[in-house]
Amino acid sequence: MANRRELVKRRKAARNIRKITRTMQLIATARFQAAFNRAVATRPYSDKLAELVADLSRAAGDTDHPLMHAPEGVDRTATVVVTSNRGLCGGYNANVLRTAIQHLDGMGEKPTDISMIGKKGVSYFRFLGREMSEQITDLDENPRFDQIEPIGQSLIQRFIDGEIAAAYVVYMRFYSTGRQRPEVMQLLPLAPEAATEGETGSGSNVEYEFSPDPKALLDDLLPASVRMRLFQCFTDAVVSEQVARMVAMKAATDAAGDMITNLTRQYNRARQTHITMELLDIIGGASALG
Amino acid sequence: MDGIQGTVTQVIGSTLDAQFAEDKLPAIYNALKTEIERTVLGETIRETLWCEVAQHLGGGRIRAVALGSTDGLRRGAEIMDTGNPVSVPVGDEVLGRVFNLVGEPIDGRGPVDAKSTMPIHREPPAFDELSAKTEIFETGIKVIDLLCPLVRGGKTGLFGGAGVGKTVIIQELIARLARFHSGYSCFAGVGERTREGNDLWLEMQDAKIGDTGKSVIDQTVMVFGQMNEPPGARLRVALSALTMAEHFRDQTGADTLLFVDNIFRFSQAGSEVSALLGRMPSAVGYQPTLGTEMGELQERITSTSRGAVTSIQAIYVPADDYTDPAPATAFAHLDSTVNLERSIADKGIYPAVDPLASSSRILSPEYIGDRHYQVARQVQQTLQRYKDLQDIIAILGVDELSEEDKIIVGRARKIERFLSQPFFVAEQFTGFPGINCKRDDTIRSFEELCSGTWDHLPEQAFMYVGSIEEAAEKAEKLKAS
Repeated sequence: MANRRELVKRRKAARNIRKITRTMQLIATARFQAAFNRAVATRPYSDKLAELVADLSRAAGDTDHPLMHAPEGVDRTATVVVTSNRGLCGGYNANVLRTAIQHLDGMGEKPTDISMIGKKGVSYFRFLGREMSEQITDLDENPRFDQIEPIGQSLIQRFIDGEIAAAYVVYMRFYSTGRQRPEVMQLLPLAPEAATEGETGSGSNVEYEFSPDPKALLDDLLPASVRMRLFQCFTDAVVSEQVARMVAMKAATDAAGDMITNLTRQYNRARQTHITMELLDIIGGASALG
Repeated sequence: MDGIQGTVTQVIGSTLDAQFAEDKLPAIYNALKTEIERTVLGETIRETLWCEVAQHLGGGRIRAVALGSTDGLRRGAEIMDTGNPVSVPVGDEVLGRVFNLVGEPIDGRGPVDAKSTMPIHREPPAFDELSAKTEIFETGIKVIDLLCPLVRGGKTGLFGGAGVGKTVIIQELIARLARFHSGYSCFAGVGERTREGNDLWLEMQDAKIGDTGKSVIDQTVMVFGQMNEPPGARLRVALSALTMAEHFRDQTGADTLLFVDNIFRFSQAGSEVSALLGRMPSAVGYQPTLGTEMGELQERITSTSRGAVTSIQAIYVPADDYTDPAPATAFAHLDSTVNLERSIADKGIYPAVDPLASSSRILSPEYIGDRHYQVARQVQQTLQRYKDLQDIIAILGVDELSEEDKIIVGRARKIERFLSQPFFVAEQFTGFPGINCKRDDTIRSFEELCSGTWDHLPEQAFMYVGSIEEAAEKAEKLKAS
């Protein structure tokens, strides 16, 4: 029979934890709503942008834009890993990081620059003793485009300058509230299908006339598309994080509830046993004396 | 019948009062003898009933504890004082035989022609006779050798609730130790299942000592007072076995092993007769003399300068409550305590030894060496950390732990499983042949496990293997299948 005071202490601890996890669940739910709306809000823009790029590249014919081809003779790649600043979101960070490690190990001997977003990823890579060329931990739950843009801009610049052969983003892709998957997305070089995505969806086969000419327009639009895709990764990651936190906190609240029920049961039983034992002692003693 | 005659004046359960002449009062602990005649289904059965004087009531009356059933005993029956305490045969003649507590053979192999007998009540050895040697007694069981090593010439207690494997461990220790043991072994069956005693007896006849061709039973004497016997019998049977062991120790100087299964029954029997003897019950209804009785028995189980008695005792823990007075009293007398834990048995890990609650007096660098000590402590630290984190894991899940804690938890789970080991006596149940693991192998295995050399193996590979290399082999097999 466990010590009763010990049981009371553990129950109290479980109750406190439940209070916290329940609050965090509610907060995560609210934040999820906001993040989800934001992610959805950027969709029409990014869809339209992709459509436009597709139309343009078709109109421009055989485009040979530098963003679509890896520079020759360069090994180095860059990887952006998007994790969260805070924990208590279940397997969210672990999943992203596992995918990231797999991806990095798959690179073999090729040198890789890692831009680590989020404190969790930074501390994990530090623990593993892996080098990071960039650590960004000042993004909050609501990343703005002007915060992301420099990251994208520097990748584009380095790609064009021939410093890196490719750029990847490892993040948690948000499909629906019930489904998120860690994914590695190739940001650069812009794969042709990525550049023309949305083509079949738009269904518009209207011939446009462009001014200035498509080639000049593409020079502006392709980098914009890259930056937009990068931003989309961040908004996806934020939504996924909140969903993961919601689910994890719900599970934790339930688990704490179960534990409290169990501990209460154990405590009551221990208490009852103790009382019975004392009564037995008193009655036994009294009757032995009598 | 010769001796001093008295008359039975009262029978209460397993105690009885008798009237003697006031100047011929039998001494306390003296054995009394009476004939019982009772009719069962028309047949008359005559039995001898042994009793032991427990109290003098004044006016020539004594109160005695019956060492057998009092069925058929009536007031006015004649009772005789033998003038001595119960005495049991001792010496080489008793080897290979099975006795009841009064020293009568019960294995149906005819009378025992012992040259000498000894009373079961004796003084414990004096201070200056005690041996001060401290030496580890290897068992080949990983968890015991690592965390609660047995002491040669010391006392070991196996604590555990109902059905966690006390008897299996004691039988395993008999199988491991008695087989490679050059001295004598004594087994006392106190208030446990008769079937187990029978199994053990048959097994000992089959088992051979080393490669001498001799059966284990040839070097062993067994004394039984099992749960079907009245409390008086269970109260004294341990003493009978102990007396035989003491004789081997004192006369031959050989190392003697004494196995007792189960010491709790001794306390329980004492509590059953205590109220009948008119003592007021004490805490949890036990006899007020609980500590004294245990002390008198335990103090005699000891090693002297003439020879060593290594004793291994199973101790039942009622309702898994280690604070219960009966196991708590036994605790203080032991050199090494092996605690069996239900939650570990529930995980399917046998022997279900609790690595954090079990300990040994010699788990200290001066006896077992620095390396063993460090490894044992490290194993305990890892497991303790895991235990502390368990509530957090239960609520938040393992993902929320820091990276260091995740590694500790992983290792702790492996250690937990690695503490299991296949037993020789359990081969028919588990299907694995028993494994003997040398202490050096055990220490090295756990050292490597703690330092993370084997972090890559799956947890399942650590179940029921011997040394760490066997775990690696098992992992290969698991991968292949």
